[in-house]
Amino acid sequence: MTNRKQLLVAASAFALSIGVANPAFAQATSVPNTTLAGTDIDNTVTVNYQVGGVDQVEETASDTFQVDRVINLTVAASDNATTSVTPGQDINDAPPPFVTFIVTNTSNEVLDFDLTEANQGGGAAPNGGTDNFDVTGLQFFVDNGDGVFNPADDTATFIDELGVDENITVFVTGDIPNTQVNGDISAVSLTATAREGGTVGTIGAAITEDTGADTDGVETVFADGAGDVDGARDGAFSASDDFTVQAADITVRKISTVISDPVNGTTNPKAIPGAVVEYCIAIANAPGVADATSITISDPLLANITYDSTFGNLINGTVEGDVATDFICNADGAAGGSFASNTVSGTIPTVAAGDARTLVFRVTVD
Amino acid sequence: MIRSLSAIIAMLAAAFAAPAMANDNISLESEIFVERVSNTSGRSAVILERPTSLIPGDRLVFVVKYKNTGAAPATDVVITNPIPNAIQFQETLDGTEQVSVDGGKNWARLENLRIALKNGDSRPASPRDVTHIRWVILEDITNGYEGKLTFRGVVK
Repeated sequence: MTNRKQLLVAASAFALSIGVANPAFAQATSVPNTTLAGTDIDNTVTVNYQVGGVDQVEETASDTFQVDRVINLTVAASDNATTSVTPGQDINDAPPPFVTFIVTNTSNEVLDFDLTEANQGGGAAPNGGTDNFDVTGLQFFVDNGDGVFNPADDTATFIDELGVDENITVFVTGDIPNTQVNGDISAVSLTATAREGGTVGTIGAAITEDTGADTDGVETVFADGAGDVDGARDGAFSASDDFTVQAADITVRKISTVISDPVNGTTNPKAIPGAVVEYCIAIANAPGVADATSITISDPLLANITYDSTFGNLINGTVEGDVATDFICNADGAAGGSFASNTVSGTIPTVAAGDARTLVFRVTVD
Repeated sequence: MIRSLSAIIAMLAAAFAAPAMANDNISLESEIFVERVSNTSGRSAVILERPTSLIPGDRLVFVVKYKNTGAAPATDVVITNPIPNAIQFQETLDGTEQVSVDGGKNWARLENLRIALKNGDSRPASPRDVTHIRWVILEDITNGYEGKLTFRGVVK
């Protein structure tokens, strides 16, 4: 066996082609990116030649192989960021606590996928920090194609007939225990396992790899890598994402200031009977935490003081200084709140992280 | 092992049988091998084997063997090999081929072919555009002579 002869192929034949004034143009044709399982690769070669200057009947030869089935998939978190949740946030809230995964079928056949969600048992969380609690009632929802998590319409319990190189979104959700505190982290994983496709609406049978000798039929090869919680070449893939609790961190302080008394007026007034005293209740939220909303304040008045209904209440005012140490209340609140059953009440809509808001009212000393 | 050996023998027999029946002067044989990297004790080696399982991304080596089995020299020999749909052409080993990127209508060296774009421009053709390859052998193929042509492709 030698290939000496072919090396003698003269360059002149190619020079002829090069000499053509207009190089041959062709329209690009689109071809599928992946060869489907069961496709025949049929290589046919033809030789034309002459003997004694006479054209001979052309010869052909071919060799055929069938493309086997490769099972491969990826699962990936939709972002590389943690999802902020609040204590007690659950699946019925709007929005519910959820993380988003993308499952992609990189096999060369249409397949179903079985899904499993799991809490991580401690250790490093994927987006930093350490997993220290479990989401309760963890469950997944397969997106119905609109890319929006809606438990009412994302009702599939497995991934049905996912095409080659196609992907689908899966949401993992659950309930955040209301005992969690700011900075708590829960990591969760989603594992997708390839199942036989072919029947719409029914999850297919489990798939096993053909490890024995070659046969004439289409064989199955697992080619998936190792995911976060599964091994390589097991027909499955997994990824993790995490929730971080963002609770409010509220500080409450109440201060009083004597405004006037019947003897001194407003000059260095003392808290003697008949004096007017202003109370300021300040609600502060720590920096870097979640906004606190709908904060309800109720302050039952002590004996020996009488509510000043002429002054009323100022709600949602601001402060100067640090509520934890030394501060004064600005008289910039809006009229609001109420007084009933000898109790002052009011609701502050929002105290943002690092901010403080007040409820101010006055009493007279009996 | 016995089973796969017998399968190969059967295939080889089939490949040889067809030209023999035709009773012509040049016999042809097409074979497909898969390139695998074997890694034993830290040494990697590329080995060629008959495909036992073939999946997208596998690198294939196509070997075309020809032999003049007649009594007279053959001239103006042109060996043509369309690239199977599922294969993306990469290269030939000898580099003497002509290629076509339009289903065999026009032939040239790959570097002289261009692909028309929808906006009226064109770009240089790349190996992935190749639809056919052929070898134009200018030397006479004397009787008894046999040769081998080889090209590489990847399963899409």
